[in-house]
Amino acid sequence: MRRLRLLSALLLTPVLTGCFASEGTDGKPDDTGDGSRLRVALAFPPAENLSPYGADATILSRLGVTEGLTALDANGAPAPALASSWRRENDRTWLFTLREADFQDGTEVTPAAVAASLTHATEARPAPAALAGVTLTAQAEGSTGVRVTTKDPDPVLPLRLSSPSLAVLSARAYADGARVDPVGHATGPFELTKVMGATAATLDRFPDHWGGRAQASGVDVKFVADGTARANALRTGQVDLAEAIPVAQAAGLGQGMRKATATTRTTSLLLNTESGAFKNAGLRAAARQAVDTSVFAKDVYEGYADAGTGIYGPAVTWADGKRTAPTGRARATDADGTEITLATYDNRPELPEVAQVLKQQLEKAGFRVDLEVREYSRLETDALDGKFDAFVLARNTLVDTGDPVSVLASDHTCDGGYNIAQLCDRNVDKAVAKAERIADTGERQDAAMTAEAEILGTDAVVPLVHQRIITGVGTGVHGALLDPYERTLVGPGTRR
Amino acid sequence: MRNRAAALLWRAGITAVLVCAIGLLPWLTRTDPALTVLKARSAERAPDPAVLADIRAQLGLDEGPFRLLAKWLRGDAGRSWLSGAEVTPAVLQALGASLLLMAAALAVAAVTAALICARTLWRGAQGRLGGRRAGGSGSAVLAALPEFLTASVLATVVGVQLGWLPALGWYGPRWTILPALALGLPAGAVLGRLLDDLLPAAFAEPWALAAAARGLPGRSIARQAIRRCLPGLLPNTGLFAVGLTGGAVAVEQIFDIPGLGRTTLQAALAQDLPVLQAGTLALVLLAAAATGLAALAGRLLIGPALRDGALPSLHGPMPPARTLQPFAYGGLLALVIALGLPRDPLGLDTGERLRPPSLQHPFGTDGLGRDVLARVAHGALDTLLLALGISAAALLTGVLLGLLPRLSGPLVDTIVALPPVLVALLVTAVVGGGPATPALAVGTVAWAPLAAHTSALLRQERAALHITATRGLGADSWYLLRHELLPAALPPVTRHALLRLPGIALALASLTFLGLGAQPPTPEWGLLLAENQPYAERAPWAVLAPAAALALLGALAVTAAGGVRVPRRKRRAPVEVPQPQPRTKEFVEAG
Repeated sequence: MRRLRLLSALLLTPVLTGCFASEGTDGKPDDTGDGSRLRVALAFPPAENLSPYGADATILSRLGVTEGLTALDANGAPAPALASSWRRENDRTWLFTLREADFQDGTEVTPAAVAASLTHATEARPAPAALAGVTLTAQAEGSTGVRVTTKDPDPVLPLRLSSPSLAVLSARAYADGARVDPVGHATGPFELTKVMGATAATLDRFPDHWGGRAQASGVDVKFVADGTARANALRTGQVDLAEAIPVAQAAGLGQGMRKATATTRTTSLLLNTESGAFKNAGLRAAARQAVDTSVFAKDVYEGYADAGTGIYGPAVTWADGKRTAPTGRARATDADGTEITLATYDNRPELPEVAQVLKQQLEKAGFRVDLEVREYSRLETDALDGKFDAFVLARNTLVDTGDPVSVLASDHTCDGGYNIAQLCDRNVDKAVAKAERIADTGERQDAAMTAEAEILGTDAVVPLVHQRIITGVGTGVHGALLDPYERTLVGPGTRR
Repeated sequence: MRNRAAALLWRAGITAVLVCAIGLLPWLTRTDPALTVLKARSAERAPDPAVLADIRAQLGLDEGPFRLLAKWLRGDAGRSWLSGAEVTPAVLQALGASLLLMAAALAVAAVTAALICARTLWRGAQGRLGGRRAGGSGSAVLAALPEFLTASVLATVVGVQLGWLPALGWYGPRWTILPALALGLPAGAVLGRLLDDLLPAAFAEPWALAAAARGLPGRSIARQAIRRCLPGLLPNTGLFAVGLTGGAVAVEQIFDIPGLGRTTLQAALAQDLPVLQAGTLALVLLAAAATGLAALAGRLLIGPALRDGALPSLHGPMPPARTLQPFAYGGLLALVIALGLPRDPLGLDTGERLRPPSLQHPFGTDGLGRDVLARVAHGALDTLLLALGISAAALLTGVLLGLLPRLSGPLVDTIVALPPVLVALLVTAVVGGGPATPALAVGTVAWAPLAAHTSALLRQERAALHITATRGLGADSWYLLRHELLPAALPPVTRHALLRLPGIALALASLTFLGLGAQPPTPEWGLLLAENQPYAERAPWAVLAPAAALALLGALAVTAAGGVRVPRRKRRAPVEVPQPQPRTKEFVEAG
C-alpha cells in the first residue's frame, strides 16, 4: 500500500508540474559570465505570437530585441540605428547606408537581407500600421546601401522606418512561410531564446551587438496584464522593472521606485460635430469653457500628468514653442439643460474617473449628462459612428510613425479613419493637407501646429491631460530607458 | 438504459446548440469579429476598411458562419484568430492550471466547510444538539465576501506586506495557497452552511439514537451523519468545482494565473471564436464529468438506500432560530441607510479624495472624493430590490426545474460551467442590450445551483420511507408533491437562495464593462466595490464599507430565513417547542 502511494506520488509530480506556468528562468548564463539577469514585468502580453507586424513589435523593441534602420531621438527626430546615415535622392527615393552589424543567428546584416526584410513587411496582411496607405520598395545598392522608393513622395520616410514593425530580421526568420519568427533572428543587444506563450519569455545578451556588449547578461520577461499585480511583483522584489504602473498603485511604491515620464499620449474630450447637441458650435464652446483641466492632472492622475494645453503635450518637445492660439472660436451659448451622452472606456482605469469629473463640471454649466462606460472594443464602433455626443479618449499623438501630422489626418479630417469627433472642416482639412506635403522637419512641425490651432478653433477637441507613464524601477537598477515614445525600456546599459 | 441514452442525447444536444450559438455570436450580436480581433491585437490601430478586409480574409470570415461551423463540427479546433497559434494545446494548458487551482480551492473549501460545521458536529456527536442553533451569520458573512476583494487583500497583506507567500504567479505549490484561499473561503462557507443546515436532521434520525444507545463513539456517529448528508450536497459541490474553473477570472487576474477563465474572457471579448469554442467545450465536458463523479459518489455513499427507497427523510423539524440576530443586522443596515440617505452620493470633490473616516465623512471618501456612506446608503435600495427580484425569480425557476431533474440536470451543469461573460454575451445576443438584459443574464445563471440543490433534496426525499407510506395510503403524486416533497425541499433551497443574494449583487456589477447594468456614477454596491478596488490598499474603507454592507445583507438573509420556514404540515404547526425525537414519532404515525 505504501509503495503504491509512493508510486502515485511520483507519477503525480510531473502531471502537477505540467499544470504550473513555466517561470522562464532557465536561460543559460552567458559564456562571458558577468552581469546579472534583469527581471522585467511587461503589461501587454503578446497577442500575435510576437509577430513583428502588429502591436507585439513594440514588445520586441522595448526589450532591445529588434532594431530598425532608424530610431527616434529624444526630440522625435530620426536617429541612426542599423543605418548609419541616409539621404534623400529625389522626391520618392531615399538611400540608406548600413553600418556593420550581425544578426543574432550569426549572419551578416547585408543590404540584400535588409531589403528582403522590408519587402516582407510590405507584403504582410494586414499591413503594419506604419505602412498603412504607403507603397514602398526596397532594393540593395552596392555593399552597404539600401534604396527605398515610395510610390508617392514620402517626406517622413526615415521617421516611418523607425517604427518597431519595420524592424530588420534575418532571412531565417521568414523560413516558415506562415509566420515570422523573431526568436534568434534580430539584431538588438538582447536575443530572444524562449517564448512561453503569452506568459513569459527569456532573453540572453547578444555579445556581438554592433553597439557593444549589453551590461545585463539576459532578461527574464513576465507578461502581467493586471497593473496591481505588476506593482506587487515589483514591491516583493520578484521583478526589477515593471512597466505602466497604474496611478492608483504608484503611491504604494517607494519614492525612488516610481519613475514618471511624459508621454505623447493625450486624453481629450471629443465633441461630436456632426449630430446631436454639439453640432452647435456655441454649445461646444460652452462645454470647453465648463471644463477645468487642472483638476484632472492634479487629482485624478495624482500629478502623473500635465494639464491639457493642446493636441501635443510636453513630451513632444518642440510643440510648446511653436504653438499658436486657436482662432475662430465660436461664442459660448447657454447650455440650458441640454442632454448629452458622454462615453468612455474602462481599459484605462483613470478614464471613467475623468468622465465622472467631467460630468459634474458639465452639469455645473447647465448640461444634463448621461455616462456610458464600456470595454473599448464594445464601444469603438458606436463611437466612430457618432452615436455619442461626447467621448473621452486617450490617444497617442505620435502614432506608429512618430510623424506628428498623421494623427491629425486620421482623427480630425473629413476622410480620417478615426474621426470620433466627426469633424469635417474645410480649413482644418486644408491645413492638414498642407502639413502633409512638407518635408523639412521644422517646417512640418510649424504646419502641424497651425493645423492644431485650426482644430482647437472648432472646439471639437478639448485637451484634458497629457499623461505621464509610471515605470516601476527596483532599487539598484540603473540605466532603464524611460522613453516618451514607449518604444524602449531595456537597453545595453540597463543593469542591476 | 433508455433513460440514460436520452439524457446523453439531451446533453449532447445542449452542447451542440451552445457551440453553434458561440459560432454565430458575432452575427447575432452584430459585432464585427474582424474589428474585435483587431482591437485585441492592437488597441491603437485605427479600424480602416483595408485592414478589416485583410483580417476578414485571413480568418475566412467572408465565408459566413456556416462554413466555419462545418469545419468545427468536423473536430478541427483550428488556430486562434488572435495569435494564429494552435488552439488545442493552449486550451489544454490553461485547463491544467485551472484544474489545479480548482482542486486547491476545493481543499480549502472542504476545510472551511468542516470548520463551519464543527460546532454542530461536536454537539451532535455528544447528543446535545436540541434547542437553539446558531444563526450561522459568520458563514453568511464569509459567503458574501467578493472573491476579488479577498484576493487583493490576501495578495497585498500576506503577499506584499508580510511577504510570507508569493503574491504573483503560478510556478509551484507555494503559489497556489493564496488564490486557493480567495476562491475556497466563500465556496466553503456556502457549502458549510448548507451542510450545517442538514446535519441536525441527520443526528435526529433513529439510527443515530440507536447508535448512541448502543454506545458507539460520537466520532463514528458524526462520521455517519456526514455520510448521510453529503449526497444532498454533492451536486452543488460539483457545480462549485465547475464554476471555479471557468469563473475564477478575477482571482486569475490578480495573481496572474494563466487559467481558463482569463483565456475564455479574452476570447469572448475579442470574439476569438476558435479559442472560445474550445474553451467552452472543455468546460462543458468538465462539468459533465464533475456531475458524473458527484452522482457516482452519491451512489457509493447511500446508493442502496436510494434505490430501495429506504431513506428516512432528512428535513428535520428544526426550531426556527428565534434570535434577535436578524433584527440586529437589519437594524444596523437600516441605520446606515438612514444616516446616509440625507447625504449627497454624487457630489464629487477631487480635493477631498481618499480621506479616511472622520466626523464629516463617517465612512471616508472614495477615489473622487465622494462620501462613501452616502453612496452605500443610496445604492442600497437599487441593489437590494434588483438582487431580491432576481433571487426570487431564480428560486422559482430553480425549484420548478429542479422538479424535472432529467431535463434540468445537464442544463444546470452546462450553464454553471460557462464563463459569466459568455452567458452575458449570449443573452445580449438573444434579447438585445435593453435595461433588463443584465438581470436576465444574471438570472440565467442564478437558478442553476438552486435547481441542482432542489433535485438533490427531492431525490433523497422520494426515497424516504414516509413517502412510500403516504403513497401506500393512496396519495397521488400531486398530493405527494404539495404535502411532502415541496415542503421538505423549499426551506433549505430558500436559505440557499438567500445565501447567494450578495453574489447576485456582485454578478450584476461585473457586467458593467460590457455596457450592461449600472453605469457610473450610480452608487450600486457592486459598482462601488469594483471602482474602489484599485484603492483597496490606500483607502481600505472605500471597499470595506460596501463589502461590509453586502456581508450584513448576507447575514441578515440567512438569519431571517429561520423565520420564513414553511410549516411542514398544518397539524405540525406548533413546531416551536423542540422535540427530542420528532422523526421517530412520525414514523410511528405514518407506519
